[in-house]
Amino acid sequence: MTSVELIGKLREKFGAAIQDVCELTPSKVRVEVAPASVVPVCEALYRDLGARFLITAGIDSRAVRGCFDVDHIFSLDPDKMFVIVRASVPPERATLDSITPRVPAAFWAERELYDVLGVKAEGHPDPRRLIMPDDWPEGLFPLRKDVKYGDWPAVGGENADASYPWKPAPEGTSTVVVGPFFPVLEEPAQLRLYVDGERVVDCDYRGFYSHRGIEKMGDSALTYNEIPFVAERICGICGFIHSSCYCETAEEAMGIRAPRRARYIRSLMLEVERIHSHLLWLGIAGHIIGFDTVLMQAWRVREPIMWLCEKITGNRKTYGMNLVGGVRRDIPKEVQPELLEVVDKIEKETVAIVNAVIGDTVLKARLSGVGMLPEEKAKELAVVGPTVRGSNLPLDARVDHPYAAYDEIPPKVITHPDCDNWARVVVRLEETIESIRWIREGLKQMPDGPIMASDIPEDIPPEQWGVFVVEAPRGEAIHYVVTGGDNRPARWRVRAPTYQNLQALPYLIEQETIADVPITLGSMDPCFSCTERTEIINVRSGESKVLDQQELLRLSREATERLRGR
Amino acid sequence: MAISDALKKLFPKSLWVYHVNVGACNGCDIEVINVLTPYYDAERFGIKLVSSPRHADVLLVCGPVTRQVLPSVKRVYEATPSPKLVFAIGSCACGGGIWHDSYNILGGADKALPVDYYIPGCPPRPEAILYGVAVALGLAPKKAAPVHTKQKFLEMLEKGEVPGPQLVAPPGDSE
Repeated sequence: MTSVELIGKLREKFGAAIQDVCELTPSKVRVEVAPASVVPVCEALYRDLGARFLITAGIDSRAVRGCFDVDHIFSLDPDKMFVIVRASVPPERATLDSITPRVPAAFWAERELYDVLGVKAEGHPDPRRLIMPDDWPEGLFPLRKDVKYGDWPAVGGENADASYPWKPAPEGTSTVVVGPFFPVLEEPAQLRLYVDGERVVDCDYRGFYSHRGIEKMGDSALTYNEIPFVAERICGICGFIHSSCYCETAEEAMGIRAPRRARYIRSLMLEVERIHSHLLWLGIAGHIIGFDTVLMQAWRVREPIMWLCEKITGNRKTYGMNLVGGVRRDIPKEVQPELLEVVDKIEKETVAIVNAVIGDTVLKARLSGVGMLPEEKAKELAVVGPTVRGSNLPLDARVDHPYAAYDEIPPKVITHPDCDNWARVVVRLEETIESIRWIREGLKQMPDGPIMASDIPEDIPPEQWGVFVVEAPRGEAIHYVVTGGDNRPARWRVRAPTYQNLQALPYLIEQETIADVPITLGSMDPCFSCTERTEIINVRSGESKVLDQQELLRLSREATERLRGR
Repeated sequence: MAISDALKKLFPKSLWVYHVNVGACNGCDIEVINVLTPYYDAERFGIKLVSSPRHADVLLVCGPVTRQVLPSVKRVYEATPSPKLVFAIGSCACGGGIWHDSYNILGGADKALPVDYYIPGCPPRPEAILYGVAVALGLAPKKAAPVHTKQKFLEMLEKGEVPGPQLVAPPGDSE
């Protein structure tokens, strides 16, 4: 299906409700619809045309067009197309019908829309606060343009004692509180497990402890070329994907393209990052289930990659390589033999670890059949990355929406049919080996030439836009840029992969035992074992018991030991 | 008595450290873990990562303090038995870093806890983290003396009694 056919289909079905169409490229279309028709249009895209929900971006366009714009971004993977459904709502009545009942993956996105912009999703099944801290005053929406940068409410205001409205525990269950501090996690987060005996019946999640307000910085305090450096600091593990994704997006909005060599360098660094991230994850996953040898070995193998990154970029992490229009540093010819040498060494050692892990019957027994996520459910929740590929769906942004140099060297998409924790482990291990292959191939085919585009426009007109996805080690990251005045975007929207994956957590751990929760969480590579304390409150007897984190880790490890003894 | 001598007296045995992420991007966190893995192996100095603040002597704080995390991190500090030390690890924990003026950020770790030592870097190298802890405990000598700036110089500068700083082109950049 081409974009013309798609628009034809939508016009045929919805007629005058399709108010305007803006085609950026043949693969990126923005459709403006009447606010009343948002739900049917999104449903038609999702149910009938097989589109996958990515994210919602709300834009305060009151100064330009006197309205709030709400952009629901979808991806049509087989057709390599992005479709944005835009509805404009008047400021005096900032509400829009919720698409969550029809498109379940929009669950968090619409909660966030209200938190940051104050556009209410009418009919949302769970309109609680998601992003903003508990003590944030009601009715203050940071992404509105009339909220001046730096003019923030003081801590300890009217809502100082507010606490999160947790879901009430289902009858007959006990509550296990996990977090908010975990030792090896992107963000502190709190999880409440509602358990009946050992079985998890339901759970509730309060995250965004490390929300840093980066999108507001992007449209008020930074310039186009400062953002890549801040974007890189969204995540200290896979930061390069964020700066690459932002740069590709901004380049598209400005109508330029980075030179080929720069795109190869981006891809190479992205693959290097994937290797180090997957090895890091493998170590942590081993630690959770009591294989500390895996932790030590995986991190030992990973270390030369960090040294290599330092040699190429000047820093072990947060490379500072990307700028809009290209990269700042070349990969010099002298470093290339060393790069290959390191890659050879890592390949040899990684293969040894992979064989040891895959051949370990205890590990397999511990992980198989736990944290099941069937294909259908994975599709519905729109999970991404190894989590979705472990459910046998070949979704990979490098192939579906090629960026950087992946259009010239497509990687092999690795899937696994088991749909459980074991599948997600195997997918990551095989991807590490595939990344090594890509680096060799990429170095061989890397062309000579400039590393920075020469046609960067002096003035960037407002209201241009671009959208890109980049396959991070954890799944696809999405950046959406709408240009504005003052040499900075009017809106810069970021969605990290864990945002979508974590929404699948309640489904994954339902009916599992408490001992399986850490590794199931770990199999998605966000975070795990709680650090602060674990409190078990028995609802029926009113008894309360405080466990520390070791208790949870011990439960997880004992489950492994039991299998070993079998 | 120098502080390092006092510390030797207060913490004569192995240091148990507890790692707190108060809103970090994970860059510092993975370097903290890295310090414990074979190439750096902090355990040979008796430094051990523990999983409860109640067991810890030292808190390693990473990241800028967010509003949401503030009450929790204060509770972690209270749960740590005295005597205790707090290390701010990374640029964000040292002063808020690039996020210092954002709406959800209160600033560096010292906005929430009394910080004893600062280890800057984005992220600090594992060697830097080890070195910082070793210097604090008097295991390694300090290599840099603290720089004391004097207000008087600024006054003289304003009055024009001393020449101000001049821009010098980097070598190789001149015509």
